[in-house]
Amino acid sequence: MLEIHNLHASIAGKEILKGIDLTVPAGQVHAIMGPNGSGKSTLSYVLSGREGYTVTEGSIEWNGEELLGMSPEQRAAAGVFLAMQYPVEIPGVSNMTFLKASLNAVRKARGESELDAMQMLKLLRAKAKAIGLSEDMLKRAVNVGFSGGEKKRNEILQMAVLEPTLCILDETDSGLDIDALKIIADGVNAMRSPKRTMLIITHYQRLLDYIAPDAVHVLAYGKIRKSGGPELAKELEQKGYIEFSGEAA
Amino acid sequence: MTLAAFIERSKREKEGWRYTDLEALLASKKTVIPAKAGIPLGSAAENSSARLLFKNGVFQPKLSTFGSVPSCILMGDLASGYSLTLGEKTCLVSQPIELVFETDQESSEEIPLKFSIDIGDNGRLTLLENYRPTPIPVTVDMDVTLRPRAKLVHGKIAAGGPHLALHKVRAQTGCYYSNFSLLRGSAPARHELDVALEGEESQTSLNGIMLLRGHDHADITARVAHKAPRCTSRQNYRSVLDDASRGVFQGKIAVSPGAQKTDSYQLSRALLLSDKAEMDAKPELEIYADDVKCSHGSSIGDLDENAMFYLRSRGLNEKEAQAVLVEGFISEMLDALQPNEWREIFRREIEAWHDL
Ligand SMILES: Nc1ncnc2c1ncn2[C@@H]1O[C@H](COP(=O)(O)OP(=O)(O)OP(=O)(O)O)[C@@H](O)[C@H]1O
Ligand SMILES: [Mg+2]
Repeated sequence: MLEIHNLHASIAGKEILKGIDLTVPAGQVHAIMGPNGSGKSTLSYVLSGREGYTVTEGSIEWNGEELLGMSPEQRAAAGVFLAMQYPVEIPGVSNMTFLKASLNAVRKARGESELDAMQMLKLLRAKAKAIGLSEDMLKRAVNVGFSGGEKKRNEILQMAVLEPTLCILDETDSGLDIDALKIIADGVNAMRSPKRTMLIITHYQRLLDYIAPDAVHVLAYGKIRKSGGPELAKELEQKGYIEFSGEAA
Repeated sequence: MTLAAFIERSKREKEGWRYTDLEALLASKKTVIPAKAGIPLGSAAENSSARLLFKNGVFQPKLSTFGSVPSCILMGDLASGYSLTLGEKTCLVSQPIELVFETDQESSEEIPLKFSIDIGDNGRLTLLENYRPTPIPVTVDMDVTLRPRAKLVHGKIAAGGPHLALHKVRAQTGCYYSNFSLLRGSAPARHELDVALEGEESQTSLNGIMLLRGHDHADITARVAHKAPRCTSRQNYRSVLDDASRGVFQGKIAVSPGAQKTDSYQLSRALLLSDKAEMDAKPELEIYADDVKCSHGSSIGDLDENAMFYLRSRGLNEKEAQAVLVEGFISEMLDALQPNEWREIFRREIEAWHDL
């Protein structure tokens, strides 16, 4: 279970998160929607431990353990995974090398043995195929020259390989064509499990047609302003975020 | 050239030693020489058919393996210098020669090595110098003569310890000379290449990687003199600097009058892993011909923070993430490295540097 209490965070002296309260029980999938610049990506970075953010108040408990104060790699070991809105390009490092290093690091942290080269290759091939990425993409440098959609698929491939328990997807659907959206949704749905918690940040109701959320939250102006069931996403699709603009101050 | 002669030279040629105060560096003894080589000896290049071993600078024919290479390939001794001569059309490409230099603690104050390499018309040689870590200063004074259409593929590993080398190469018509050098820690290291393209249509490709940390100081000075028309030169260097280490790259391209249709290129890129590390890169172009193509570039950058976070969010700790990015930074150099079997040798040296 993920429990965020009164989380305040700022960057470059500017407060972005102004008291987030959010609870996602184990096994559930919650969606977060909200206007541009409202702090959704900021929340995802603060959850995964990116440097540069100052948390001035509040707590983030993941299965009873406080995440604040942990390094990104400690959080990864604890099961946290962020599929980034803007995946990073790493010239000179092959996707294969990257995936191998990640999986072995995470396995080591979990007290599992490292996979040998053959096991690794088999696993990566199978997972890449399931997500519709060719073997050629495994050999190329991480995200370098990947199309927008390929980058997003690559994030989901990493998620499928690392099998995290807290999955945060930041606009994984943006830039995907309809077929890719289905493939990714299938990938995500296949990973739904009573032990896994998912937080899906999106601007579009469309994704939620494929990945039915247990709850939908509106993050606007640094706070969760409204929560509801899947119908809330449909309502937002029609009305937009006008009703929250009064909170701008 | 002895150590004293090197110091003398550094004082005389002030401009070329602007960033490397040799005397002070040799006196400071700040650098820790790794006790372990990182790689068990004997495994460095199983593929070389000839592995010539030098102990404290003294050639050990009995401890060497020659494969199909004639044992008379190397003549001379430490005092008068060694010579390696390849006759006309002799080809030692599929049987690369590796020279391995080891020292033991009780040996002398310094090891002054002298080599003279002469490759005859159409001769082909692949040669790797492999200097294992040592606290004893090693000086290398190497003269290479390439006769028409000769080819030398030259590699070097300086795995740690004071290392001062001057490689002078004179290439006649239609020759090919390549150099790939890895400087892995040093106290200090100076790797100097002086390549004169004296005959038409010769080509040279000079490449290298410096991996430095602690108080390491390494200096790569590469000079290419285009003295004849239609020659090509490439210089491509990568430096990785951690802690308070310092790297120097001085790359010179000189084009003589009449060396028309020269095609020359130079690139130095440095990656700083620490705020205290320093890189000095000085390109120098001296062009006296008008129909030439010369380009150069240099960059000095830090680790990409976004990439560091990306890797760490996938479970790698800081050190592991850094190693992956360093590997990415130098990978294109290794991918291009020839012959293929050297790739693995150099890769292992690089991995060993991460683990030291
Ligand atoms: N490094 C920074 N310095 C200053 N302001 C920043 C920095 N990073 C983010 N911000 C600001 O923080 C606010 C929240 O940004 P964030 O990326 O979290 O929004 P978002 O909700 O994810 O928006 P979108 O829907 O467009 O992805 C924005 O106003 C943004 O400009
Ligand atoms: Mg965002």
